[in-house]
Amino acid sequence: MPSLKDIKTQINSVGSTKKITSAMKMVAASKLRRSQEKAEAARPYSSRLEEMLSSLASSAASGEGIIKLLTGTGNDQNYILVPVSADRGLCGGFNSSINRETFKLVKSLEGNGKKVQLMPVGKKSRDFFNRVMKDQIIESFVDLNVSSTGYESALNISNKLQELYFEGKFDKCILVFNKFKSAISQEVTQQQLIPLDVSNSEKEEEKENSSNAIYDYEPDEETILKDLLPKNVSIQIFKVLLESDAGEQGARMAAMDNATRNAGEMIDSLTLKYNRTRQAFITKELIEIISGAESI
Amino acid sequence: MATISFDLVSPENLIFNDDVGTIIVPGKDGDLGVLPGHSQVMSSLRPGRVMVYSEDKNLVKSFFVSGGFAEINPEKCIVLAESVVELNSLDKSSIEKEIEELGSKESKESEEQLLIAKAKLEAITVSFYDKI
Repeated sequence: MPSLKDIKTQINSVGSTKKITSAMKMVAASKLRRSQEKAEAARPYSSRLEEMLSSLASSAASGEGIIKLLTGTGNDQNYILVPVSADRGLCGGFNSSINRETFKLVKSLEGNGKKVQLMPVGKKSRDFFNRVMKDQIIESFVDLNVSSTGYESALNISNKLQELYFEGKFDKCILVFNKFKSAISQEVTQQQLIPLDVSNSEKEEEKENSSNAIYDYEPDEETILKDLLPKNVSIQIFKVLLESDAGEQGARMAAMDNATRNAGEMIDSLTLKYNRTRQAFITKELIEIISGAESI
Repeated sequence: MATISFDLVSPENLIFNDDVGTIIVPGKDGDLGVLPGHSQVMSSLRPGRVMVYSEDKNLVKSFFVSGGFAEINPEKCIVLAESVVELNSLDKSSIEKEIEELGSKESKESEEQLLIAKAKLEAITVSFYDKI
């Protein structure tokens, strides 16, 4: 049976853990609000860009150079996967679900005879893939702090990707990230980044075709498209980074909330145990005193 | 006189959103003056000044954009810019320093930045469009 002192120490240590987790929860909650605002502020730009792009996409039949971002290389042999995780842990299943999903995707692509390379974003996925498939990593990006550095961080990734793409290093690029659904739930999502997937925006295009068809283009459609496509890649990455950042804070908040609650329950049960043990000691002492007095 | 709704959007946030009288945007092939009822145009932009005027043609705000796109229709003008700064927050000496630094480097990236920095310098030194 543990001594009273042992239990007391245990209660104290659980208590300080609880303090830490509840502080982390508060921090995550306030960061979440900020990240969410950022993600929302970025929305008008990306949605506008998508609209413009979808109205232009039809005008690009096939082509060389930058247009390839839209039309593809014509192959689908080489893949590059970009798992977007957080830099720090203690946020529930946030990072591991990204890693698991990416790992599964790699295996299934390789099963179909494709070549897969990785470009992890965030320390947690870099470390994971460093352990399991080190030789497939071509580049990794960590410590992005997207909420403070902003668009620049997305630009770096996008430039690197485009450089590799035009060198012919890969045919398709897929992002794997946590989509921010609500403060407590994230959804692992795959998004094809290169070549641009216009299938979902095509529907919108049909809707708006009537109004978009009569635009004048200056200088001309192709030049605009050439400017627009690389920018769109950066913007998509930026959007994903922001969503993932908001998701991370949300996941951390939920995880820490749980941890705080668990710590509270543990303290309750330990306190109960402490009181019982104390009672038992007192009873034992009383019995000793009484039996001692009786024997006299 | 009518107004036209004007949005200036950067990747990070919505910078300007109001009904205005006139906007001048730096189109790739030359500046575009946008008034209410402008025909539908989609244009890419060069680095330069975006000038916003009220209905009575007073300059309300002026920005420097490093490039981007503009979508214009009779009721609305939307400028998507990569980086936006308000013109009066720019400092001449720091831009000159930047130009000097970039001039010594020789890479494709710094060349682009140099072009932008030069346009920035031009944007704060010239004064046409201050009054229309």
